[in-house]
Order: sequence, then structure tokens, then C-alpha cells
Amino acid sequence: MTMADVIVIGGGPAGLSAATTAAAHGARVILVDEQAIPGGQLSKQIHKFFGSREHLAGTRGFAIGRRLLEDALAAGVDVRLGRAAYAAYPGTGGEFEVAVYGGDAATGGSRAARLRGRRLIVATGASENPLAFPGWTLPGVMGAGAVQTLVNVHRVRPGRRALMVGSGNVGLIVTYQLLQAGVDVAALVEAMPRIGGYLVHAGKVRRAGVPILLGQTVLEASGDGRVERAVVARLDERGQAVLGSERSFDVDTICLAVGLSPWLELLLILGVRTAYIPALGGHVPLHDRDLQTSVPGLYVAGDVAGVEEASVALEEGRLAGMAAAESLGRGDRVALARAKLEVAARLDGLRGGPFGAARREAKARQVNELSGAPPLSPAAAAGPESVPASRADGRAGIPGRPRPVAVIECYQQIPCNPCETACPRGAITIGSPITNLPKLDVDACTGCGLCLTACPGQAIFLVDRSGETATVTFPYEYLPAPEVGRRVTAVDAEGRPVGEAAVTSARMTRKTNRTWAVTVTVPHAYAGVVRGMLRPRR
Amino acid sequence: MGPEGSKPKTVICRCEDVTVEEIRKLIEKGYQTPDEIKRLSRCGMGQCQGRTCRNLVLQEIGAATGREGKDIPMSTFRPPTKPVKLGLYARARAEHEGGDDR
Repeated sequence: MTMADVIVIGGGPAGLSAATTAAAHGARVILVDEQAIPGGQLSKQIHKFFGSREHLAGTRGFAIGRRLLEDALAAGVDVRLGRAAYAAYPGTGGEFEVAVYGGDAATGGSRAARLRGRRLIVATGASENPLAFPGWTLPGVMGAGAVQTLVNVHRVRPGRRALMVGSGNVGLIVTYQLLQAGVDVAALVEAMPRIGGYLVHAGKVRRAGVPILLGQTVLEASGDGRVERAVVARLDERGQAVLGSERSFDVDTICLAVGLSPWLELLLILGVRTAYIPALGGHVPLHDRDLQTSVPGLYVAGDVAGVEEASVALEEGRLAGMAAAESLGRGDRVALARAKLEVAARLDGLRGGPFGAARREAKARQVNELSGAPPLSPAAAAGPESVPASRADGRAGIPGRPRPVAVIECYQQIPCNPCETACPRGAITIGSPITNLPKLDVDACTGCGLCLTACPGQAIFLVDRSGETATVTFPYEYLPAPEVGRRVTAVDAEGRPVGEAAVTSARMTRKTNRTWAVTVTVPHAYAGVVRGMLRPRR
Repeated sequence: MGPEGSKPKTVICRCEDVTVEEIRKLIEKGYQTPDEIKRLSRCGMGQCQGRTCRNLVLQEIGAATGREGKDIPMSTFRPPTKPVKLGLYARARAEHEGGDDR
């Protein structure tokens, strides 16, 4: 049996970046993943990612997965895809043994092997939470991950009309992807009284006219042998269905996106200490600042360490990879110390703002519980979400200005800055922390529109009020392709029809990465209102 | 709920065909840890090893007892964590000297 310096289980963003980083610092690394495609969940993601340059923001998920695999191979990682780790044991000399099988499709993936490593990094990610209700076992009820596998990997439409349950980022993104695949989404229901995910993701769904029903849930699914309808009801403040509020939707698909739980099995077998932290997905492994668990030499990274974003997983992977290499005496101590600090600072940034506050506090608890230090006082940074009172309408394009100008409708402090990087004039400033809202220098903006297709949230528009009629340019990612000259129905931010408009331009270049910038001509009065168009029926 | 007819049964462990009603009865009888419920009902002992029903059982225990997630013990985990064929273990035993497969 060969002995590696580091074994990494999981080939998602955390595992791949951990393996690459450890190898770059001189460790001999073996990575195993049960899937044949690299990237973990990234392989199913077709939307542009948030974050910054360090997180390949603006790149579509599956492309990030491929990039990370290339990096790992270039760094000399022994990547073994299609191999599932089904057991892990402590070795006799403080090392780890991992049992894997697979790699031979012909024999049903039954080839077994044992790997030994002096350090083990577990990056197994998370699994989807179920939601049980009468009829939920009917064909047609599926998790958001299954929908993404069908639609984005296999290009199979799961149904014709769907109900989405859950308004976290997964529910919002998958709703958008269902729409892109040509599936009608009757409604998105959310049990909480507020949208769980980013408003920019919700904005894409709203512009498409999908109602988001807050404080409501699915009570029952029924149908003859498969889902034919779903009953939705309002919830009272105790979470009980309000009698008489039931509403029936004719749908053939119910998609569940109600959260994720860290996939801890291998860690529990190895005896790590855990804590129950709902903000991170429930039971999570305790770990120190280097992501080392209570078992010496055993590290975690990514969603298995607490459910967060892919950008966090990337950074945690880097940190765990560095720490594992460092503990083996590899790499340059001074350089490693500096690099670790940089990653820690970026992780702090990603957990900034109102969205990250709960996770930041939870992470501090997770770390302190292991070290025995007293828990930190609740982060004071949480504060109410700032939504500027004066929305965009007041500054949506400037009358008499001889050129279009960007209108940035990004009102939530989320960790994302591709607009700042995209602007060739430096007219958009986010700065540090990365959760700052973008600021536009209207005088410096030339209206080039590069930010519009760079924004993963599709929250930037161009408004030109210089001509006799105004034009609005918006990002567009649906088929059939928009056609110049075509009359379309322009819609507002809620997907409500505003009026007829003509498409005067539809641009898609390599740089826009499969996003069209569509320009429509509208009366001046509507320039501050129009934010998209109805998808023409196929 | 449907206006007519009895409420359909809600299966929560598909692998072993266990309904939420059966789980609630066990909790009522005083079996209030995932391990007890697992052993009595086989809930979570099938092909997927509880990956789907595990959280549902925790929710049911929480809802019935008023206990929070942190106060409900997790069930015990043992290898294999993925469904594997018996032959794999047999072969591994043959291939590795001493067949130490703990």
C-alpha cells in the first residue's frame, strides 16, 4: 500500500483547492471523488458565480470545476475520479487508512483499494434536506440537486410545470434554471416570512414573472401514479397551516430546496467532536483555525465543515491544504504564515455583511468550542440590512446625458465584486470588505455595458435617455435567442408587463460568456421601470 | 389535506418502507433517540443508510419532545458509508494479508 502525505476525500471546490495547495507546498497528495466529473456540485452549476477574482467570480460553475481539476493535475495531485471512499480508519502510526472502491464501470465499480496518508482532508460536502408530506414519494417530487443533474448535466426536462419549495440561493437558482430549460414554474413557496437567498437571484426569478409566496408551504402532493397537483397553504406564526388557505397548483414536478446538512459519516467514524449549529446546517465538526478537527492530522474544508458558499469552500480548501503541508514540515514557514493570514482575511470578508454575520458568529463558536476559549460575544456587525430608501428610479439614466449610463440595482451586502473588476474606467467601486455595495461614478461611466454581463446577479442595467425615445439594456439568458427588430413585451422588475417594445440590439460575445445584452426602445417615462422582457413562447 | 377520504400515509424511509405514523407511535412509547428508532423500525438501515430519513426522524423527535437539535444524540455510524457489495469485502480480505478489515 502506498503512503501519501495527504489524502483528500472529495473533489468539489474545497477538496480540489486543498489538494492543489498542499501539493504546491511540496506534499504528495492523492484525491478521490466518487463522481467521474470533477468539481462536486460545481459540475451541475451553469450560472455565473459570485465572489471575487480569487474565487473565479463571473465564471460559470462547471467551468470552475474543470479549472480546479486542471490546477490540481498541474500541481501534481494524483486525482482519482470515480472512486468512492466508503470507510476511513486510524492507522497504527497516527496515519489514516481510507477504503475506496470504483474506477471500473464494467464490473459495477467493485474494485477496492486501501489508501494510506499521513494527513487526511475530508471535503465530502453536504446532502440535501428532505421534506416529508403526504404524496412526497410520488414520482415528480425531487430534490434541487436531482433537477440540476437532469437539466444541467443530462439536458432532460424534469416536467412541464413545477412548484419550487424553498427560497434559499439553491431554490432561487434552480427556479431560474428550470425556466431556462423551458419549464414553467407555477410558484416558489417559502415557509419563512422572507426570502432566504440573495435578492439579486430572486430578482431574476421575479422578472420572469414567478410569484414568490412567503409564509407558505406545500401540504400535499397528489396524482395518479405521479404528481399532478400540489396543495399549498399559508402558515401561521407557529408554523401551522391556516385552515381554509389551501390553494391547489396543477404541476407535474415539485422541487425541494430546503437546505443542506454536512455529510459527516466518515468524520464520525473517525471520532471527531461535533457541535449542533443550525446556522451551518446542523451537526458540524469542531475545528481549529487551521481547519484541523479534534482528531490530530484530520482536517475538514467546505460544506462538510459547515454549509456555506463555493467561494468559502475554495478558501477553506486552501487553508486546510496549507495547514496539512505545514504540519508535515513542507513549504516555507514564513510564506505559509503569510498566505494563511491572507486566506483568513478573505474568509472574513466572505462572511461579512448581514448575510454572513450569523455564519461568522457560528464559525467563531465552532473554533472556540474546540480550543476551550470562551465563546465570543455575538457579532455586533449584524445590523439591519441596508436598503437605500431611494431606489434606482430617481437616478436611472440621466435626462439629456449624451450616452447610456449603468444603473446598479444591487441593494444587499453580499460578497461579490466582478462589476468593479469589469469596469475599464474604474467607475464602479466596491473596495474592501467585498460585501460593500457598489458605488457608481456616473461621470466616469461610459455606458459600455461590460459590467452588465459581468454581474453574476444580473442586477445591472443600462439606461439611455439621450434620444427621442429611451433605451434600456438588460442581461438575458433564455432561448430562443433574442432577435433584433422583434416586438416584445417589456416587463418591470416584478415581471409585470409594462408595454410593447422593439429589440434594437442583442449582443453576445465571448466576453459576455453566454449572456446576451438586449436593448429595447421604450418611452422615456418607462426607462426607470423596464428591466426585462417576456420570453417568447416556443 | 384532501377534502375527502383518509389522509394518505407519509413514508419517510423509502428503503425500508417506514411511515411517519409508525415513527410517531414509537416516540410516543418512549423511544426517543435515532438509534432506538432505527433498531425497532429499521428506519435508516436500507440502501441509502438513512441519508434521507435521518433528518426527518430528528425533526419528529424534536417536534414530539420539544427538544432542540443539539439535545438529540446522533445515531452511530459505521463503515461502509456507501452501499458496497459483499464480494468487495471478501476480496479485500483475500487481497490484504491478514485480512484485517476491522
